[in-house]
Amino acid sequence: MVNGLNLLFQFLDSFAFIVLAAVGLAIIFGIMGVINLAHGEFIMVGAYATTLVNVRLGLPLPVAMLAGVLAATLFGLVVERVVISGSVPNAIGRRLVGRDVVEPLYDRLADSMVATWGLSLIMVQGVRILLGNSLDQIGTPLGNLAYGGFSYSTYRVLLAGVAVAVLAFAYYLFTRTDYGMRARATIQSEHTARALGVDTERTYMTTFAVGSGLAGLTGALYAPTITMVPTLGGSFLVEAFVAVVVGGSGVVLGTLLAGGLLGSINALFSNLIGTFFGRIALLATAIVMLRFLPDGITGYVEHVRDRRREGT
Amino acid sequence: MATEAADGGGPGGGRGDATLARLRRRFEGPNTVGNSRSFWIGFAVAVLALVAYPLAVGSYQASRFSLFLVYAFLGLSLSVVWGYAGVLSFGQVVFFGVAGYTFGVVSVNFATPLGITAAFLLGIVGGALMAAVLGYFMFYGGVRDVYVTIITLVSTLVLHTFMAQTAGDEWTIGTAALGGFNGMPTIPTLAFGVGPVALTFDSVSFYYLVLALLVATYLGLRALVNSDYGRVMVAVREDEDRTRMFGYDVKRLKFTVFTVGGALAGLSGVLYASWGNYVSPQVFELAFASLPVIWVSVGGRKTLLGAVVATVGIEFFRNSLGGEWAFVAVGTLLLVFILGLPGGIVPWLHRTYLDLREESGAPDPADGADAPEVSES
Amino acid sequence: MTGRSVGRREFLASGAAVAGTALAGCAAGGSSSGSDTIKIGVLEDRSGNFALVGAPKHKATMLAIEEINEAGGIDGKQIETFAPDPQSDNQRYQELTRRAIDQEEVDVLWAGYSSATREAIRPIIDREDQLYFYTTQYEGGVCDKNVFAVGPTARQQLGSVLPYLVEEYGTQIYTIAADYNFGQLSADWVKVLADENGAEVVGEEFIPLSNSQFGSTINRIQEADPDFVMSMLVGANHTSFYEQKASAGLEVPIGTSTAMAQGYEHRRLDPPAMANIYAGVNYMEEIPTESNTKEGGFVDRYYEMYPDAPYLNEEAQTNYFSVYMYKQAVEQAGTTDQAEVRAALESGISLGPEHAPEAPAGGSIELDPATHHVDHHMWVMRADGEHNVEAVADRKIPEKFLTDTVGCDLASEDEETQYTPQDYFPEAG
Repeated sequence: MVNGLNLLFQFLDSFAFIVLAAVGLAIIFGIMGVINLAHGEFIMVGAYATTLVNVRLGLPLPVAMLAGVLAATLFGLVVERVVISGSVPNAIGRRLVGRDVVEPLYDRLADSMVATWGLSLIMVQGVRILLGNSLDQIGTPLGNLAYGGFSYSTYRVLLAGVAVAVLAFAYYLFTRTDYGMRARATIQSEHTARALGVDTERTYMTTFAVGSGLAGLTGALYAPTITMVPTLGGSFLVEAFVAVVVGGSGVVLGTLLAGGLLGSINALFSNLIGTFFGRIALLATAIVMLRFLPDGITGYVEHVRDRRREGT
Repeated sequence: MATEAADGGGPGGGRGDATLARLRRRFEGPNTVGNSRSFWIGFAVAVLALVAYPLAVGSYQASRFSLFLVYAFLGLSLSVVWGYAGVLSFGQVVFFGVAGYTFGVVSVNFATPLGITAAFLLGIVGGALMAAVLGYFMFYGGVRDVYVTIITLVSTLVLHTFMAQTAGDEWTIGTAALGGFNGMPTIPTLAFGVGPVALTFDSVSFYYLVLALLVATYLGLRALVNSDYGRVMVAVREDEDRTRMFGYDVKRLKFTVFTVGGALAGLSGVLYASWGNYVSPQVFELAFASLPVIWVSVGGRKTLLGAVVATVGIEFFRNSLGGEWAFVAVGTLLLVFILGLPGGIVPWLHRTYLDLREESGAPDPADGADAPEVSES
Repeated sequence: MTGRSVGRREFLASGAAVAGTALAGCAAGGSSSGSDTIKIGVLEDRSGNFALVGAPKHKATMLAIEEINEAGGIDGKQIETFAPDPQSDNQRYQELTRRAIDQEEVDVLWAGYSSATREAIRPIIDREDQLYFYTTQYEGGVCDKNVFAVGPTARQQLGSVLPYLVEEYGTQIYTIAADYNFGQLSADWVKVLADENGAEVVGEEFIPLSNSQFGSTINRIQEADPDFVMSMLVGANHTSFYEQKASAGLEVPIGTSTAMAQGYEHRRLDPPAMANIYAGVNYMEEIPTESNTKEGGFVDRYYEMYPDAPYLNEEAQTNYFSVYMYKQAVEQAGTTDQAEVRAALESGISLGPEHAPEAPAGGSIELDPATHHVDHHMWVMRADGEHNVEAVADRKIPEKFLTDTVGCDLASEDEETQYTPQDYFPEAG
């Protein structure tokens, strides 16, 4: 029985990590077709802002986390305006040479990867130059749950609940708000949406900001548990990518199911054999899933649904 | 290429011109940049300059530069696979690394010139074989577009995680220890031949070997992409479904091109391992795996010349910068180039050059997309 | 090999004659034997993955060099440095090593933090017969005539802390280590040392370097319920283990060779993450020797030169004293010729506390002529609940593996190998 609880907590821990790592990336990729290789660095911005506000300004942790989210959102807005949509360079260009100088990066997979990779280099090194090689860390709050001879950090288990809440928030955002409707219209068909009067530029800008903000939230939430070095984003990147791709095009459902599947595989192998095999199993699962369900889980679900509809 | 040939025939044209023009036609076409006499003259000048480079700067600088030339093969491999067949692969470094390790294992076990020559060939074969396996798994399994990219990326990560823990004594093949995270040092320097009749390539001679191989490979690939097969490759890149509906076996083409790309990356890996006498799992890291994508994107992925020029240029730049602002400079450079010149530098330069020529009004009958007509008087 | 070097010199000469000064730096930077300066190559990471632990190494080397220069230099000659930033990139290390040897013609080279870096440049070092100091703590076993591996070995570090913990807490040991060469070899040494001290390793776990989530590891430790844990975790990702174990309430004592002394986790993490952690090291900023802590001592001098430095770590001291070892050897040999300096280094160099702050008053450390390793003064340093660090035990531990078990004797026979415990100890297999 005790081992069952171990497995459960490890699963919740893994699930939370994968979902929180992936959700910001999934939104940006799913809606804008932009692969953000600087995703890890947005997480870093959130984590660093949280740590700085809590440690140096002495504000309580929840306030600091809010600051982290805000910092990442603002930063995302700036990046979106300057790099992704190119509107700032274009505005300057129009004034100087009379025409647009850059094209937006939407739906340009490879180019967005190169651009965001350059961005990530600048961010990591910039933070290193400004703030040094590491920051003093915040301690993990909330103590631990003891059971039998074992114990698990309460905070980490609670993060699973937070992950579900974040997904619920995303679901609400995309199905119940005006913005969500516009965003989904833009995903389905940008031209039609624009023809119907949707300001796709603003939708993209808001989407990127939301995605960045969620990445910042991940950083803020994990700040009390990981080391504060400029390269901390890298440890989230692999799980994020793998989850986004295994999940497929449906942002909320895909991330949820991918988190569940990959989290359980990781937890199972880590618990039974070791951390190394947990990692390899996660990557191997991703490859197998991609091979047999190339459109991800939600893609497969839609495929089945379409086929069933045709059958009736 | 030393003789001047009149373009388009006319008086003075003869059998020599016709042969030259026919030769040139094999290397020219819409799929590569530079289809005029002036291009080939420039090309020859550039090659000569590269030949003279070690004499001007000494063996240390030549050795340093030869590494960039080695990387050019890696860039070319991605250009072929991505720019010409439309498969964006983050996994070229997988074949690079596998070939490097294969070379290492074989040459450490058989440290004679014959053994090293065999290792060289086996390394390339190893890279190609790995690509064939991965390509079969992906293309014949129906994986497409961005998911191909992700699978290649994940393969890189798997190999990194795996190779980094091969440190124990049990991970020894013959006398070659895989070395885990520390890598495999003491890989012998490249040598071709048997016993006493052997050439060892070190520093300057290595530079010339790599340069010769690079020029030969570049020309060979130019011929390939401008041939009929090359046109089918481009067709697949442009619209896979339409090409399939015309009756071409798209899966087999992607598989073949991917394997060829693997062999090219493997060649790069083998040369790399013998340059530094060392290979390690660092070649499977995300940072290194992204480099070919960056080189080729900045240079212009739909051109071979772009891949070579950008690889050498970016690596030279990256390598020459020191200090803490180096990474910032490289990142900014990437951003500026990808936003400002999304098609790549070389196509932009080419277009600018053509525009300038047009403006100056000089009609060069050899310029333009098609090979010149050869008419004999 | 010599035929090749001659060829290269010929090329340089003819190249210079033909092209003049085509490119900056094409001509050699000036060989220093016979000139008024001594050239030292210092390749230490100041950016990239190892910046945190590499920056202090660089600083301490510069501190030693400045002190020596101010006191008149080595044999009256000032020291100049070639010290670019290799950015934690082994590719750059290889390139910069070649440049240091071929172009800058350094008289001696300090380079690299990780063992992977050392192995990447060792072929170049050996091919050029370059005098080389490797100063990081490492797994041990390098018997190479050009390499002076003067940092503590795993056997020395674990050999200081493990017997102490067996006495204090008991004989059941659980090992967690980074899943690569250093971690795996250190774990082998734990098994050897456990055998020598009547203890038993009840479980081992190897964790990939990229892993930063330790939930299952913590559970497994709790399940094994050992008397203490030996931790050889490495890198920023693994540092998260200590925070996570504290928040999970895991209180078992932990002995380590890697934590605290290099990456100063006890300063960066919130107490009580590092509580009850015992580091077996030759040096960390808190060791209580007189030469370290006195007014104007090592710590004071370091922070006077670098007021903004965050910490003075283990490897920094090794870099510092090895510069003084080189000075002693050059003055003894009377020349900077590398073969003669090497012979001088093999004649038995000893440093007192003034230049090797790890040694207590009246103590000393010795450079072993046969193995090119150092008999270190090892300390067991314990962090308490508030992260105050104090010494609980100390003794001198000579290098044993190469000397006694392998029989490496570089003074009489040249070699270029790395030995591992698995070949010699059945319990390590």
